[in-house]
Amino acid sequence: MINTLIEIAPSGLMQGLILSILVTGVMVPFRLLNFPDLTAEGSYPLGGALCASLIVAGLHPLLSLAIASTAAGIVGICTAIIYIRYKVNTLLAGIILSTMVYSINLRAMGKPNIALFELPNLFQNIAHGISPQIITLLIINLVIMGALYSFLNTEKGLQFRATGLNPKVAEKFGVDLNRNIIAGLFIGNAFSGLAGGLLVQIQGYADIGIGVGIVIHALAAMMIGEKLIGTNSILKLTIAPFIGSIIYQQLQGVALAAGLAPSDLKLLTGAIVLGIIALR
Amino acid sequence: MLELHNITKFFLQNTEPTLKSINLKVGEGEYCVILGSNGSGKSTLLKVISGEYQADSGVVILNGKNVTKHSLHTRAKEIGSVAQDVNKGTIDDMTLLENISLSKMRGRSAKYKFFTNQTNEIVKDIKLLGLDLEKYVNTNISSLSGGQRQSIASLMAMSPKPKLLLLDEHTSALDPRSKEKIMSFTDSYIKNHNITTIMITHSIADAISYGNRLIVMHHGVIEYDVSGTEKSKLTEQTILDILHRIGGPL
Repeated sequence: MINTLIEIAPSGLMQGLILSILVTGVMVPFRLLNFPDLTAEGSYPLGGALCASLIVAGLHPLLSLAIASTAAGIVGICTAIIYIRYKVNTLLAGIILSTMVYSINLRAMGKPNIALFELPNLFQNIAHGISPQIITLLIINLVIMGALYSFLNTEKGLQFRATGLNPKVAEKFGVDLNRNIIAGLFIGNAFSGLAGGLLVQIQGYADIGIGVGIVIHALAAMMIGEKLIGTNSILKLTIAPFIGSIIYQQLQGVALAAGLAPSDLKLLTGAIVLGIIALR
Repeated sequence: MLELHNITKFFLQNTEPTLKSINLKVGEGEYCVILGSNGSGKSTLLKVISGEYQADSGVVILNGKNVTKHSLHTRAKEIGSVAQDVNKGTIDDMTLLENISLSKMRGRSAKYKFFTNQTNEIVKDIKLLGLDLEKYVNTNISSLSGGQRQSIASLMAMSPKPKLLLLDEHTSALDPRSKEKIMSFTDSYIKNHNITTIMITHSIADAISYGNRLIVMHHGVIEYDVSGTEKSKLTEQTILDILHRIGGPL
């Protein structure tokens, strides 16, 4: 079991570093805006699908990633507009959008999966091999955490946090709640799309099903991080997704090494979420 | 400065309105005190002015602009308000510094600069209250007592200087000594900066001591409105007589 664990730890770490970006994307609306958003279920695979399709079409992998991430952010804006304009429940607005985006993903890909093995990708150019890939992903994570932490310490970031903590009082202080919700859902889903795009480039293929149940994985990772380091400061809020994702992915590795089938992992994820809720 | 034309507000259709066709003009620099029994519509009136409630009919004009359809956050750029309910004046999960920084951005657009840059300025502002609260600048505001939070809420409503200040029993949670300090602080701030103010109180003594105009409300109607020298001549007994005539206990 130990040998298996050591063997799968680096790839678990790599997946954890990708998951961390997605979890940050889920955390932004959930924790900072108090807006439970399920759009990641659509924006994460959209990032992957668009990125793969654009690479196949001959675009540079970095440009493909940027376009895919922006498109995923726009899906977040659509969720925000549905919520604001039609007063639809936040969860329902996310479900509607992610369901619609599934069809868009299939359209973009043209088929349920696309192989990218023979095509250029970001990691082929700048980081060949697992260690450089981990370092690259680590740098991307640090940049995201640093940017988010800095933003939350600015006046704009303070207004952003106030939107989620107490919208009524925030409004009294001139905070435009709708603008922050739109911006927050754009940022959150752009991160989700970025994670999807990075995943397809690293694994060398895109699959229409990568988003299925992804929000519950993200929530499990987020809750592990929050349980371990807390949420009572901006720094802790920013780092919790990173810590939680790494540990969550390694826990999955432990479960696999202990003999659990990959199909049992969703059961484990649900149990982790329930366990943390029970411990609160 | 502020004009209300035929403001009516219902909470339940087919029942008596909380505000019945209110007409009110408040001039620049005027300091109005509103007295009235519970349920007379005082707080509702202030909430309609601030934008927290939308009137069912009527027009709100602020500085010559029709702001009837403007949202709370748009009106907040010109209006500072303190709610009667302590929990509605500050954000619990933020520090004093964060709360006051937030209030200071009310009249302008927030910038991409660190809010902690204003710490010294904010400590100076808190010192003005004279309640020794500056030591809590980096403390979560929920750790403070209700009265201390209400004092900070008053400071937040006045900073930055609003064009119109709405005080809804802003000292209701304070002990007598702190109440005296906050009343005196708000009074001198209002006078020094010539801020147009509407203050709700249940205290006849405060209605006599503060402001240059007295309005008495009863059952959603302005029953009595006096200002200038006439107001300064009012005594506790005359106010009690007015309230008795109107028929409402305070």
